[in-house]
This record gives sequence, structure tokens and C-alpha cells, in this order.
Amino acid sequence: MNAYLQIIKGTWAEHLMYRLNFLMWRVRMVMQLLITYFLWLAIFGTRDQFFGYTQSMILTYVLLTGVVRTVVLGTTTIEIGDLINQGNLSNYLVKPMHFFAYYWARDVADKALNLLFAIGELTILFLILRPPIFIQTNPLYIGLSVLAVGMGVFLYYYFSMILGFFGFWTPDVWGPRFISFVVMEFFAGSLFPLDILPKPLFAIAVGLPFSYFIYFPIKVYMGQLSIAFVLQGLTIGLVWVGGLAYLALALWNRGLKVYTAEGK
Amino acid sequence: MRKYVHLWIKLTMNSFMTALTSRFGAVLFLIGKMLRFVFFLIFLLTLFTQTRFLASYSQTQMLFFFLTFNFVDTVTQLLFREVYRFRPMVVSGDFDLVLVKPISPLFRVLVGGADPLDLLMLIPYVVALVYVGNHLGTTAPGVALYLLLLINSFAIATGFHIFVLSLAILTTEIDHTIMIYRDLTSMGRVPVDMYREPLRSIITFAIPVGVMMTFPAKAILGLLSPWVVVASCGIGITFFWLALRMWRFSLSRYASASS
Repeated sequence: MNAYLQIIKGTWAEHLMYRLNFLMWRVRMVMQLLITYFLWLAIFGTRDQFFGYTQSMILTYVLLTGVVRTVVLGTTTIEIGDLINQGNLSNYLVKPMHFFAYYWARDVADKALNLLFAIGELTILFLILRPPIFIQTNPLYIGLSVLAVGMGVFLYYYFSMILGFFGFWTPDVWGPRFISFVVMEFFAGSLFPLDILPKPLFAIAVGLPFSYFIYFPIKVYMGQLSIAFVLQGLTIGLVWVGGLAYLALALWNRGLKVYTAEGK
Repeated sequence: MRKYVHLWIKLTMNSFMTALTSRFGAVLFLIGKMLRFVFFLIFLLTLFTQTRFLASYSQTQMLFFFLTFNFVDTVTQLLFREVYRFRPMVVSGDFDLVLVKPISPLFRVLVGGADPLDLLMLIPYVVALVYVGNHLGTTAPGVALYLLLLINSFAIATGFHIFVLSLAILTTEIDHTIMIYRDLTSMGRVPVDMYREPLRSIITFAIPVGVMMTFPAKAILGLLSPWVVVASCGIGITFFWLALRMWRFSLSRYASASS
């Protein structure tokens, strides 16, 4: 356990080494949130409802994406592809801990630090903007949304790992990741709730694992899904987690067989 | 001048060859760029399934704004891709090698690495712009003003990129300024008049995203008075001039720290 604590401390030290860089990263996050927030405010104009959403519901959705994306999509695993391509993976293979566990610890550190900042930023934004937001009071929905966020964390961790493991077979690790960012931004529901999409597109969106990253946890929090539907969603999400975890592990084992520490 | 044109062609050819070394990666990036465009287009079209007008703009007009944004954004990325690679150059001290060459260092780090993928992306954008523009009932003076304000947009975009380069020299820690620029300009995917005050004024005059992304399309729609056109050009020229001053100042502070 102590070893993992040291990894967490090391990751924080790494992030805080270049403080201005980290600060600018947070500025970016706030700006992205504000851009979406003001875009929706503009779209609503004088309307009371749009796509069945009130202004307060949509603004709650947008502001919550700031927290959920920090927890779910905050990861250090994006460096894995380069790690493999530059031969630096060898340094991790000789360590007395599993590579997956090492990156779990790094991700915990990354998420915790970013979450801390995200909460502070959102508090300031609330005080300045005073948006009309919806606050969930039903503890069942709050508990289920925390569960959904946790599931999203596992799902994205394995998804990002799989993208990194492409590095075993190709030096082009950023191409697949770029496409994944673009597809994820749309199908995870970071710009808008997916249920505003035309029905065929919505059906595709909820059939993909990305909807469990942002859209599903927030919809659960907002109490807009029935308990049966939430349980069904959690079950499907868990199947995705199992499938992606299996695939990630299989790729890792196969990848190690072709890994040549090239570049080292 | 001829020397720089010749040099730009050489640098661009080299950059294109480097980018196309990995065709697999290039194809994936191209697909990603197309998807990004298509996804936001779907979002816009989805909004118009619920209303005929957004902030008094019709669907066709909104498409034209979005296409103009993509055109300006893609041309600037095509020309100024090297800016994304500048910070490592400063941190490693390799910028020294640029400074000792008998060419303008700004020229080298600003336009020294054009992106072929953005050149490919420009083709559908231009075709779509002409097609949608034809459905707007445009006039010859409107088109002339549109082109004039597009040149002004590129002046502002160039200014933004020079500011980013200057900041990279002054504060080598910053890695995200170019992406902050991208985030900021993404507000211009829709006309900036849609946003509420004081944001609208901030992104029009203080950070001239509106002048850069929205005003050309407004000009072609006949929604800009001559005075606003003149003022826009004034903002563009002033912004570009300030960026050049900033560059000269930052160069004087370059410490060649890691070389």
C-alpha cells in the first residue's frame, strides 16, 4: 500500500513541478466548460424549454460535465503509447508491481488533484454566474449516480489502456487517440445531452460505451431515468467494463511478446 | 521577398513529406478532422429541428457562419502548424539554431511547417462555402467585403499565433496557450451576437474572435455597416501590430536556457 501512496505522491509532485503549465491546463478546462455553458445560454435565448429540457436542467447538465469529465476522463494512461514506442516500458516491467496497478495509482492521483481544482473552480463559477441549477435531493439517485461515475472511471481506464497498447504494433499512437477524442466528445455527451439527437443517432450513441462516460451518470443524477432503466444501464456498462478489461489484458499479454524495447 | 517564397515552398514540401511518412496516421487524423466537422454540423442541424431561427439566424445562415469559421480555422492551422512545435524548440534550446540563420526567426517558427491534412480539408470547405453562399442571395459588394474581412481575420489569427510564440519564449512552462486560443476561437462556430453581454463585447473587441470569425459572414449577409467594416480592419491591424511588438519584446528576453 505504501508503494502506491508513493506513486500518488510522485504523480502530484510531477504535476506541480510545472505549476504554470498545470494552471493553464485548468484554465483550459474552465474555458471549455464556460464555452459550452454560454453556448447553451445563447441557444435558449428567451425560450423556456428546448428538446424538453428547461434552462436550469440543461445548465445543470453542462456544469456537471465539468466534474464528471474530470473524474472519468482524467487519466495519465495517454502516455502509454509513447512509453512503449520509446522503449521506456522496460523501466516499468522490472518494477515489483503490475503495470495496470501502477497506472491505477497514477490515475487516482491525477483525478484527485484535478477534482480538487474542479470543485474550487465550480464553486467560484456558481458564485459569479449564479446559474439556475437543479439539485438532486433523492439519496437513491445520488448514490446511483456515484456508482455510474465509478463505472465510467473503470470503463475509460481500460478504453484508454487499449488505445495505448496500439504502441506495441505501430508508432502511430496519436492517430487512433485523436479519433477517439473526437468520437468521445460527441458520443459521451460532453456538449449536449444525447437524448436531443434524432432517434436513430441516439440509439447508436447509447449502444456505444462512450455514453457511460458522461451522459449516463448525469442523467442518473438528474433523476430523468427510471430505476429499472438505471439498473439496466449499470448492467450493460458492467458488461462493457468486463469486455474492455479482458481486451486490455489480452492486448497487454500479446503486446509483451512482440515488445522489443526499441528506441532504448 | 522572393527568397522567402522560395524558402516557404521548400519548408512546406519538407513538412508535407514528414507528415505523410506515416500514411496510416495521416489518414486517421484526416478522418478525425472530418468527423469533428460532421459532428458539430449534426448538432447544429439537430437544433434546427426544434426552431426555424436561432438568434434571428436561419439554418442556411448559421451553416454559412459555421463554414466560415472552419475555413478561417483550417487555413490558419494549415499555415501555422509549426507554432504547435515551438515550445519544445525553446525548452531544448534548439531555437538558437533558428536565430543564427540569415532569415527572420518569426518566419521560420510561424510558417515553417504547413500541414497537408488541412490543405485537403480546405477543399470540401470551399465547395460547401460556395454552395451555401449561393443560397444566401449574395451580392458582388457583399462578396468583396467578405473577402476583405477574411484577410482581416487572417491578420488577427496571425497576431494570435505570434502572441502564443512570444509567450512560449517568455514563460517556457506554458504548454496550453495554443489550445486556449483554439478553445476561444471555437466560440466563433456560431455568430457571436448569440452570446449575452458582457461576453459578446469581450469576444468581439477585447479578444477579437467575433471580428475574426463572425464579421466576414455578417458582411456577406449585409449586416455590417461601413463603419463597422472600417473599425474591424482597424482592430485587425492594431492587433497584428501589437503582436509584432510583443514578439520583439520576447525575443529580447530569450535566454537560450537549455542550449
